[in-house]
Amino acid sequence: MNMSKVVFGFFVLLAVTLNFGFFIGDIDNPDHHDVYELFAALVVGLIATVLKFGERSQMGAILLASSLVVNLQLIAAVVVWGIAVHITEVGLTPKVMASIVSLSGGALLANLVSLVLLTLDTAGLSRR
Amino acid sequence: MTNPANSSLVFLFLRRMRLPLTVLILAYSIATLGFTLIPGMDDQGNPWRMSFFEAFYVVSYTGSTIGFGEVPYPFSPAQRLWTTVSIYLTVIAWLFSIGSIISLLQDPAYRRALRRARLARLVRNLNDPFYLVCGYGDTGRMLTRALTDRGHQVVVVEHNQEKMELLEVEDFQAPVTGFCMSANLPDNLVEAGLRSRWCSGVIAVTGEGHVNLKIAISATLLNHKVAVYASADTRGEADNMRSFDTDHVVIPVEEYERRLQLAIDKPDLFRLYHWLNSGPNARLTKPVVIPQGNWIVCGFSRVGRAAWKLLQERGMNVVVIHPEPVQFGCPEGTIAGRGTQAEELMAAGVQSAVGIVAATDDDADNLSILITARTLNPALFQVALENGLSSHALFRAAAPDFLGQPSSVVAGTILSRISSSLVEPFTQQLLAQDNDAARHALAAFLRHQSDHPPQFSSGRISVRRTPALARVLQAGGQVTVGELLSDPRDWQQRLHLEVVFIRRQQEDILFPPDELPLAMGDRMLLAGRDGEAARLRAVLENDERLEYVLTGRDRQQGLIWQWLEGRGH
Repeated sequence: MNMSKVVFGFFVLLAVTLNFGFFIGDIDNPDHHDVYELFAALVVGLIATVLKFGERSQMGAILLASSLVVNLQLIAAVVVWGIAVHITEVGLTPKVMASIVSLSGGALLANLVSLVLLTLDTAGLSRR
Repeated sequence: MTNPANSSLVFLFLRRMRLPLTVLILAYSIATLGFTLIPGMDDQGNPWRMSFFEAFYVVSYTGSTIGFGEVPYPFSPAQRLWTTVSIYLTVIAWLFSIGSIISLLQDPAYRRALRRARLARLVRNLNDPFYLVCGYGDTGRMLTRALTDRGHQVVVVEHNQEKMELLEVEDFQAPVTGFCMSANLPDNLVEAGLRSRWCSGVIAVTGEGHVNLKIAISATLLNHKVAVYASADTRGEADNMRSFDTDHVVIPVEEYERRLQLAIDKPDLFRLYHWLNSGPNARLTKPVVIPQGNWIVCGFSRVGRAAWKLLQERGMNVVVIHPEPVQFGCPEGTIAGRGTQAEELMAAGVQSAVGIVAATDDDADNLSILITARTLNPALFQVALENGLSSHALFRAAAPDFLGQPSSVVAGTILSRISSSLVEPFTQQLLAQDNDAARHALAAFLRHQSDHPPQFSSGRISVRRTPALARVLQAGGQVTVGELLSDPRDWQQRLHLEVVFIRRQQEDILFPPDELPLAMGDRMLLAGRDGEAARLRAVLENDERLEYVLTGRDRQQGLIWQWLEGRGH
């Protein structure tokens, strides 16, 4: 068992589950989407990205790329949230909520790609 | 395309940054999360909690130790407690990350890699011809010095750190790039610019013959156009190198043997040859006469063996001194010892001997032999082998009659070959000459050369290279070697230059006489003072100067002057 693989797998999976938890629910209903969950998804996503830094393999490079996409999408969602609530003071209208959740939906897709890649990598490893 | 060495540096950096960055992210997120959870109070006294936006703002200025105070409302005691915790958390996380970046940047391996990447970039960006010198021992140092003095750029590959430090503190006339890595690996040579189109020559002068052999192979395989010069330890290695067209191979022991042989048989040819092939700092030796009689050879090394054989063949009686006569297959009557003791030398008959050869592997021993033998018999002819350049000053002070330095022998022969490809056939034919011819040649050189050896350069008579001369020759004119060597500033004077060799389609002419007419397609090897060849080249390219040199008349420039001149006649 490789401890670094465990840690990395843990963070990738956690990023997917948190992201999914935030994403699920009515797209424009603020009650269905908790800010703490978004925060947790972003932090875990950032850590998963950093853990993939400096990987030379092809698989590692694609994993890093997909994690970067996850972070970009989640940061965009967080920025939209912050601007809507604190700067323009529009508040969490259904339109704003829908755009936040759809951004996190994109992140979820990238997260799922990460997960699939990780699974493939592991499967390839066991066959060798 | 990115350079593998460069991108691996980036990867290494990122990999090392994993832990510090994770720690930083965790510290920030814990501190931010804490602030959103701790209850506070707004200015009206209502219960209030920070949003993520405000919490991140507070953590950002706290973590970076800027500290704007308690915004937007004064903190509750619970919030102050958490602020204290988050200050320690984030500041320590920052210290840790910055500490790891600094320790990475100071890591010797990382710095070495960084340095190599920088040098490799430097070599890739070279856009002037350069020479690749492998090995920076005495020979490499001498070659680098001489090549940079001639204005060539040099890239040095040497694995010994101390020698590289020596290179870094030295001052050169042209840029020198030094790689601290083994020249044994072809990849390293490629990194040092072997495949660059500006690489005009590879010189393999590491101390080890098999490494030189490998460098020569790599150079010929990886870059067909490059000229390869190598030093070999044994005849086998040399034959191996020549088998794949190494341009010039020098075996120090054989070269030393050849010079000793010349000194015995053709003293003037020896002086000339030694002068031309010992590097730019060579001095013309005084005429030596190797005396006939009893000789002593100390040290039955390869040079000692060669000297013994040579002297024996000339019918002289030779006594050998060697510490272990049996193991080294020394001849009958060898005296056991190093030759540094007076008793050993006495036993070898130093008082009745005419000469002594100090050829042990140890410079201190050789010096000691010289001095001891000199006290016992001041009239001795002394031949010494100098193994390393470090004791050169001592050998100069000891002033033996004949001194052999492997490093200057190797560097000198390679340097003369680098000047022109005609030097090799010239040298071959020169060695076949008798002593009188050599004396005449030496006298010709000494007309304009003081102590410094003449510098070789070469050129070909063609429409492209020598347009002015080509026009005269094609118009049916005749130009002789002597006419060409007139000084373009004063045609009755002669340039400080000799044409020593002409290669034609049919024949090679050694030391062509002044009356010899030149022909199209001739390749000339010139030897003379530094910078004189450039004057001759200017003459060959310029019609007016050539006419002046040939006739002594200045052709007037411009139509009016030419017309006036025409009326005057």
